[in-house]
Amino acid sequence: MAKAGTYDIEKGRGSTAASLLLPATIFVAIGLLVPIAILFRYSLNAFVPGKFMVDAFTIENYVKFFTDPFYLSVLWRTLRVAVFCTVACLILGFPLAYVLARTQTRFKNLLIIAVVLPLFVGNAVRAAGWMTALGNKGFFNAMLMKLGLIDQPLEIMYTENAVLIGIVAVNLPFMVLTLQSVIEGISRSVEEAAFSLGAGPATMTRRVLFPLAMPGILAGTILTFILAMNAYATPVLLGGPKFQMMGPLVYGQFAQQNNWPFGGAISFILMTATILLTMTANILVQRRYQTR
Amino acid sequence: MARLQINGLVKKYGDATVVDGVKLDIPDGEFLVLLGPSGCGKTTTLRMVAGFITPTAGTIRIGERDVTNLPPWKRNCGLVFQNYALFPHMTVAENVAFGLEMRKVDPATRAKRVDEALRMVRLGGFGERYPRQMSGGQQQRVALARALAIQPDVLLLDEPLSNLDAKLRQEVRVEIRELQRALGLTTIMVTHDQEEALTMADRLVVMSEGHVRQIGTKRELYDHPADPFVAGFIGRSSFIAGRVTARGTFVTDNGVTIQIAEHFAEGPASLALRPERVALGDAAKGLDNIVEGKVEFVSYLGAVLDIHVRIGDHDRVIVSRPTHGAPEPVEGDAMTIGWAKSAGLVYSGT
Repeated sequence: MAKAGTYDIEKGRGSTAASLLLPATIFVAIGLLVPIAILFRYSLNAFVPGKFMVDAFTIENYVKFFTDPFYLSVLWRTLRVAVFCTVACLILGFPLAYVLARTQTRFKNLLIIAVVLPLFVGNAVRAAGWMTALGNKGFFNAMLMKLGLIDQPLEIMYTENAVLIGIVAVNLPFMVLTLQSVIEGISRSVEEAAFSLGAGPATMTRRVLFPLAMPGILAGTILTFILAMNAYATPVLLGGPKFQMMGPLVYGQFAQQNNWPFGGAISFILMTATILLTMTANILVQRRYQTR
Repeated sequence: MARLQINGLVKKYGDATVVDGVKLDIPDGEFLVLLGPSGCGKTTTLRMVAGFITPTAGTIRIGERDVTNLPPWKRNCGLVFQNYALFPHMTVAENVAFGLEMRKVDPATRAKRVDEALRMVRLGGFGERYPRQMSGGQQQRVALARALAIQPDVLLLDEPLSNLDAKLRQEVRVEIRELQRALGLTTIMVTHDQEEALTMADRLVVMSEGHVRQIGTKRELYDHPADPFVAGFIGRSSFIAGRVTARGTFVTDNGVTIQIAEHFAEGPASLALRPERVALGDAAKGLDNIVEGKVEFVSYLGAVLDIHVRIGDHDRVIVSRPTHGAPEPVEGDAMTIGWAKSAGLVYSGT
């Protein structure tokens, strides 16, 4: 009797948990998995100019992407930009996150708000701000010329550098916040123990802080990498029409060329590349740190 | 293993002085305990010795070296923290080996010394485990082994037992003390636990408000507390306010005259009495001071009984006596108490 009673309670708990998970599951299924499945089906269709989309079952769109140097160069550029931005965010963000996590000042909340504040401004608005700052007659060039450091305005706008600056600025808060919460969970006395045992700051960081912060580093890099791979507004506004990345390319195929099958294929290539790279990095890092 | 000298150590944060002119001379191999209520500056002092806090003024010498301006990683201090502070991503052996690795000890010697250190804390064979697979007491012993493996000049213990349960605490206490003695290691321990301090220390330092109140052996501190703070902090004392009116005479604020030893100066003062130095009832007969009072509160502490006796509007004396023997007094009983004049300690001022 008692056993049966216990069993029922357990079962009851299980079904309550399941019913709580249901809404999110349904939302993910309808909002994400179904469109992806449809998109994947589209990517196997044929495109006939003038006739929009023709039902078919072909890998022609994928072949087209991987045999055309232009598209490959766009993929390569996107990867390069995403990797660079992620590394830059990590290098810039880690010290900032560390200071935020360890500071004793009563202005700590204010500092965190200062990090989050940029997220209140949308990507497009922020990119517009960078346009005025980086343009030939923009703030930076005007200042540098006034100071007599340069004669000619620097070409920043509509270059890869402008896009890099823009994406790093957009992604940095995500990296900082992720790292900060993980570093805060690392006891200060563990660092002090390393110091007392003879490790200088560099050794302590490498042997103790980084390995313990690894879950945060991983989460932060994955987050910023995905955001950078899929960046849209920043490359469009700061890179200009000649600077192509995967995000704008997908949009172009759907909205301007009306080529849904090819747009679907590019979407899938972008998604697969993102997932593969993220997983590889994850596995490599885990092998290096977590099984130790 | 070295002598540790701290001279004129001061730490200020803005206007607040946390440590104010601490001077300590700890001979080689001594176990010194810094004792005091929280916020008395004991932990700050320890952290300045470890190198985590830069002193505002003063010097710290370990052996022949002036370490005042050295960073922690160049001081060769072994540290044990309250929360163990083991590296969770390393095995027990890797934890203990860390300090040796930093000292570029070759792998063969390193393995041998890790093994030695772990056996010293009775954890031989636990090297492959991770800290999270061990109990609190074991983790604290690993932390101790890690601190000892580097053969530190000075061992610093920051409330090392506070996170352990009472029974374990007593075991680890003895273990630390025995190891320290066997290795002849100069040691400073910080604690707010009086019992812990009394059982472990060669000498005690009582601190309050950033000052050293008194330094001495347990006996010195208990029998001759330098001021009312120490008298109240080490062991217990009942305090009676009054003034020394003449050589050897103390009059309480309630007008009771009490005989005291003759070397105390005249003026306002307070009288401190240890509970076990006060006799009750018949036992009080023939003592220098005999005072009538009323039992106000009796508290049973197992082996002894604490009897709170009111002897005036403001004054209550705690008397402790063995529980068994004479019948137990009851609240409200009239009670005679007495003590020798040598039992009363007088502190001038309020």
